Amino acid sequence: MVVTLVPFGVGMAFAGLAGKAEAERQLEALSRLSGLFVDRVATLPIVLSFGAEDRVARQIGEAAREVASRTMQVLRMAFLSSAVLEFFAALSVALVAVYCGFSLLGLLPFPAPEDLTLGRAFFALALAPEFYLGMRRMAAAYHDKQQGEAAEASIAAALQQAEAHRAAEPVPAVACVSRLSVAGLEVTYADDNRIGPFSADWQGPGLHALTGLTGAGKSSLLHALIGMTPAMTGTVTLDGAAIAPASLAALAGWAGQRPLLLPGTLRENLLLGSPDGGVDLLPLLEACGLSSLIGERGFDLAIDPRGSGLSGGERRRIGLVRAIASGRPLLLLDEPTADLDSETARRVSDLIETVSRDRLVIAATHDAGLAGCAASVVVLS
Amino acid sequence: MIARMLQDASKRQRRATGVAIVLAVLAAIAGVGLLAVSGWFLTGAAIAGAAGAVAARGFNYLLPSAGIRAFAIIRTLGRYGERLFSHRAAFFALADVRPALFGRLAGAEPGAVFARPSGEVAAQLGSDVDALEDAVVRWVTLPGALAGAATGLVACLLAGPWSAAALLAGLASMRIASRGVVPGLLAAQVRRRADAMTRLKSAYAEYAACSAEIAVYGLVPQIVEVMEMDVEELEASRLAIVRLETMAQGGQRVLAAVTVAGVLALASGGAPLAAAAALAGAAAAEAWTGLVRTDLNRPRVDDALSRLENMASLPPRAPHHDELERLARAPLRFASEGCECVVEPGGRLLIGGPSGKGKTRLLGTLMGLRADAPQQVDIGGTEVRELGLETLRKLFAQAPQDASLIAGTVADNLRLARQGVTEADMWAVLETACLAETVRALPDGLDQWLGGDGARLSGGQRKRLSLARVLLAQRPWIVLDEPSEGLDSATERLLARNLAGWLDRTGTGMILVSHREGLHHLAGMTFAL
Repeated sequence: MVVTLVPFGVGMAFAGLAGKAEAERQLEALSRLSGLFVDRVATLPIVLSFGAEDRVARQIGEAAREVASRTMQVLRMAFLSSAVLEFFAALSVALVAVYCGFSLLGLLPFPAPEDLTLGRAFFALALAPEFYLGMRRMAAAYHDKQQGEAAEASIAAALQQAEAHRAAEPVPAVACVSRLSVAGLEVTYADDNRIGPFSADWQGPGLHALTGLTGAGKSSLLHALIGMTPAMTGTVTLDGAAIAPASLAALAGWAGQRPLLLPGTLRENLLLGSPDGGVDLLPLLEACGLSSLIGERGFDLAIDPRGSGLSGGERRRIGLVRAIASGRPLLLLDEPTADLDSETARRVSDLIETVSRDRLVIAATHDAGLAGCAASVVVLS
Repeated sequence: MIARMLQDASKRQRRATGVAIVLAVLAAIAGVGLLAVSGWFLTGAAIAGAAGAVAARGFNYLLPSAGIRAFAIIRTLGRYGERLFSHRAAFFALADVRPALFGRLAGAEPGAVFARPSGEVAAQLGSDVDALEDAVVRWVTLPGALAGAATGLVACLLAGPWSAAALLAGLASMRIASRGVVPGLLAAQVRRRADAMTRLKSAYAEYAACSAEIAVYGLVPQIVEVMEMDVEELEASRLAIVRLETMAQGGQRVLAAVTVAGVLALASGGAPLAAAAALAGAAAAEAWTGLVRTDLNRPRVDDALSRLENMASLPPRAPHHDELERLARAPLRFASEGCECVVEPGGRLLIGGPSGKGKTRLLGTLMGLRADAPQQVDIGGTEVRELGLETLRKLFAQAPQDASLIAGTVADNLRLARQGVTEADMWAVLETACLAETVRALPDGLDQWLGGDGARLSGGQRKRLSLARVLLAQRPWIVLDEPSEGLDSATERLLARNLAGWLDRTGTGMILVSHREGLHHLAGMTFAL
């Protein structure tokens, strides 16, 4: 039995390595092709509106057959490794049976090291499959282990990235930011996709606009200011002292492209940034044209995280009101007037301008009206 | 319906399935034979050996020892082949089911298919089809288990009818315990797990997109609290499932042991035959436990089947309206309370109004993808809701607000527009849509893989690719929903100029929704909501 272990090990290692190589070779094509069905169902409305469903159905069929034959290539190797296991398990049973039989008959061609009785022979035969059972379990667990390790590595990388941006020391709370500047700020995304370098010098209180071509990195710069980008170089200075960007997060109110909604009431959602409450929301809502929403549906309107029943513009303004209500001295706004009609956009611009009289507001925007109210405009390219 | 589709698809894989079944049967027989002959050989050898050297020399050991080796090899090769062919049959059968199912969905009323967000529907459908694939792979386990059981019974019959009866009773009780009890207990837990998982996934995706706000306001505890209930639910249901599975499998082992003891106790006809019967019984019970996996999967497969059945049996869409020629040259009329707007063929209309007033809904209704807009829209006097998607899509080409790109290359997305699009056509529309330069800069150009929903492109670039696609479609009208959102004003001006030139050249009509004033001058009239 021990003798069969060596070829078993070699066979396992060979089949395992071949299987892994084959799986890696097919991985990219397989992941693209096997996602095709789900993607085409998800995009069915657009497929239908161009009348392309017959072509797409053919494409799905071809892709599915391609996936089937590629998967078979991977499985052929995987099954081979389990066949090797099976073979040695079966062989060991056969060898033990034959050996014990011959030993009992007294016909062994060599002197037997022990004297077998029927009971012991049976015991050996019954245990023979168990000898390989552990190995077979290990082979099954090996695959799980590989998957687990891959997942662990990707989680560890994400955690490390998050850790790297953690604020080293909390910045003392200030009532007013009088100067914020960045120099040579460069953000690096995956695939070595670089954005920047950016330099800017913002005086507070006041409204400052970030404009520039689509894709120039307006959102990236805002995220970099609070340390929410993968990797970055450059310096951020607050009131004359260099700081880690992540520590700015505690001073900033944020209104993004798609504001967070938590299950709860509308009031709770508006006050997410101001845990102490006690803010009079009505004037703010009035100023950005949301008072009709409150009038029709009330402060206790139940909100779900997907924002069902709210339009894109309403959701965006909830984020803006939340940021202003937080009372933070620095406001970072990403396209605050997008998704809004021109009348509402003008009211929102007025509100932002009013707020900027006692706070430092930095807004990324395409809106010429809003940029026109700004004390400075940084054009990214 | 889904059962028919699966049947049709499986018929085409008859040969692979047949081979898999034959191999499964062979492997099961060989597995039982291996243990039975080994037991018989050992016991016979022991008796002969004890009887003295003469008896030992007279014992025919060649045949059984050759048989043992042969069974060992047949079992191994049989298992390998069985797995290969059963997977081949299942994969290729389901490869036919996927396009057939897609065809049914595409033929139904879109509103009925997408009662929930389309991504959710699609993900559910994908995992349901995968569950079906697993179930089809397991089809061959039943013949294998039956063959193993039959071989075991034959071996036991050699040791007398009572021992065979003991095996039969044992196998039957194993089946009843597994088939009768397990799926019922599991079903509720499996559903609990699936629901919790779906909720967690969608919550996670939603919150991950808002990470900046969560960091700024320190909302991690709130998010953890919101998700905690579902996490607990998920863990509890997973634990319950593992418990039930372990109990099911442990129960089978206990029953198998009792069965083997019964077979041995009731065996007659001498020690070698009794040993053969007991070991054959053990091997048969082992083959039989393979069926438990099928029972454990049954709740998931049943759920998947019933959901797929609902999808596959949706009623087909209204047929095509045959007045296309007339409709293509007819004016469009939009009407709501106290407001009416008529656009002649080749005209350009801006749909205006504050956000949240249902512009996207109106465009969806115009396209026949939904029917819930409160306004009236008719073409040449026929209300669009009567015409239906089948006709409307031959009149309108739409670039929706979310761009709606398919996972694929730039060219894949453009080819969606119509059949027979050439590369020259593609470059021409990319120029018009101010995207040619971007595409030229991509490493693989037109053949650049963009990922799901055009992930490699920025928001504005996605919009322009969607616009380029519309320009390729050669329909009498194009319908654009916020085509310049996310564009800087210089690019927007260039786009407006290109688009005006293209509309003049082709005489195509345009329905435009845009908050931004940069494109408003393209439209000759406005319909305000």
